[in-house]
Amino acid sequence: MADQRKRADKTRTLREAIKEFVHDGCSLTLGGFCGRNSQAAAYEIVRQNRRNLTVIDDSPTDQLDILIGAGCIRRVEIAWHGVSLFSLARNFRRAVEEKIPQPIEVEDYSNYAAGLRFMAKAMNVPFLPTRSLLGSDIPKHNERIKIIRDPYEGEPVALVPAASPDVAIIHVQRADKQGNAQIWGHLANDENKARAAKHTVVTCEEIVKEKDILKIPNMTALPSYCVDALVKIPYGSHPWSCYGYYYHDIIFQRDYAKNNETRLSFLKWLDEWILSCEDQNEYCRKVGKARLSRLAKMERAINRIPV
Amino acid sequence: MTREEHAKGYSHAELMAVLAAKEIRDGDKVFVGIGVPMIAGFLAVHSHAPNAVLMFEGGYLGSHPPMVCTDVGDSVLGFGAPYVTSSWRTFSDLQHGYCDIGIIGSAQVDKYGNVNSTSILDGGNHENPKIRLPGSGGANDIASSAGRVLIMARLEKRRFVPRVDYITSPGHIEGYESRRTAGLKGGGPVAVITDRAGFRFDGDTKEMYLSHLYPGVSVEEVKKEVGWNLRVAEHMETVEPPTKAQIHFMRSYDPTDVILRRRHLFESIDFPSWSRLAMSSWEKHARRA
Repeated sequence: MADQRKRADKTRTLREAIKEFVHDGCSLTLGGFCGRNSQAAAYEIVRQNRRNLTVIDDSPTDQLDILIGAGCIRRVEIAWHGVSLFSLARNFRRAVEEKIPQPIEVEDYSNYAAGLRFMAKAMNVPFLPTRSLLGSDIPKHNERIKIIRDPYEGEPVALVPAASPDVAIIHVQRADKQGNAQIWGHLANDENKARAAKHTVVTCEEIVKEKDILKIPNMTALPSYCVDALVKIPYGSHPWSCYGYYYHDIIFQRDYAKNNETRLSFLKWLDEWILSCEDQNEYCRKVGKARLSRLAKMERAINRIPV
Repeated sequence: MTREEHAKGYSHAELMAVLAAKEIRDGDKVFVGIGVPMIAGFLAVHSHAPNAVLMFEGGYLGSHPPMVCTDVGDSVLGFGAPYVTSSWRTFSDLQHGYCDIGIIGSAQVDKYGNVNSTSILDGGNHENPKIRLPGSGGANDIASSAGRVLIMARLEKRRFVPRVDYITSPGHIEGYESRRTAGLKGGGPVAVITDRAGFRFDGDTKEMYLSHLYPGVSVEEVKKEVGWNLRVAEHMETVEPPTKAQIHFMRSYDPTDVILRRRHLFESIDFPSWSRLAMSSWEKHARRA
């Protein structure tokens, strides 16, 4: 692993990266937070038919719902799961309530607690304390959360365990070949997810030269030493927004939410948009060049990256 | 204050947004989630609370977007935001005590303002619930640490229960001093806003009571929808209907109807029309911001 992270050129295809790092039975976290999501990576995991995965995350959206519906997921450790404003995550509900397509274990946290779990491992400490979760039923049904008396002041605090997924996949705006990855807009928990994971795959809109990274080094959220592999994947967050690159395709997501209502219509959607698209290029062709360009135009009307 | 003209037609969601907005004071740091709470936050910023700072858990703070959006990490929240950061930092600021008020939704709420958004058991148990809901998200964190908490709920008997199936977000727990005993630093719920009535909490017992009636709604009607012996304020207040200006603002700020959902526009609109409608409204509101 150490040698891998020292390589000068970490680029590979998405197919290669998923094959190399995401194995049956492994644990996984996906970057972003209702924007700059690792959507294309989730689609590729479905195409490669990975099984028995555990997802450790904060508030995953449709990318997890799709993975659950495709039968890839055995367990989730999360704070929230839905499809934005549009719907409850129907595949998640079917898995919990009806064990379809398979039963799923759920371990609940809050968003802050989920973020602290990644921070703990990023700091390489076993847990972190918080004043969230106290007085709620979340710790009653999650024995890994411990309520203790703070040894200094004597007040109650909740401890949440460090999370170390086998792999983190983080989508960013741009990176150099070595994997120095720059993020504009909200960072979500991605700096800590990348450091907490045993392996980190960065997917990006653009690969730039090192001198472009050096122009504005404050924006480097993930240094190359915590990155194993780099994949260029334009529109890798679609239908979610990617700050400075393209706006949120709300209509695509509305249509997904209509289609995940029933098992049958979901499977049809899955086949149409993921399984029958060989890769991200084909998915983008299917969404349509004009539509993607329009999303890019919308985003530029709001946010521009100043370099 | 000048007398403003009341709107004639408005939806429950619009009235709830107006009432939630009224709870926001100028200069407040406001933690808002998706849906009606978000439009309430922006209504406050664009009316009586121009210095309120809206905090979004993805990591956007103080945003002045040109329209509402469907989630809390949307890039439109980057517009007019003086501070963009990480999710954990946003929550750390909340836990530190910077946040004056937070607004949360609920699937079930009980007489002490405890909120359930995790699971409806209905004869099942936590592992096998009747309905699995999305879970806490940031709601537990807001309920734990915000100075004041506002709960949004629909007034229905199955939602207003004596005790929630699962406390996702603590209200006043068992009443009296139980929040403090549990170690919580935030003030807890101050109001519950529904589609037909408003509720507040007793200063000592911390029990919820009926405080505000909406136009045309009776106390008996409200009591029928509450699953415990509801206390009623001695001096009941009747809420004012929204003003024309408030309604106009909300509708133009939600040009494609994603939150208010009053015209069924969003269900059927195609991509090009959605995109055109959104962008033309951006030009107007971006200037205002």
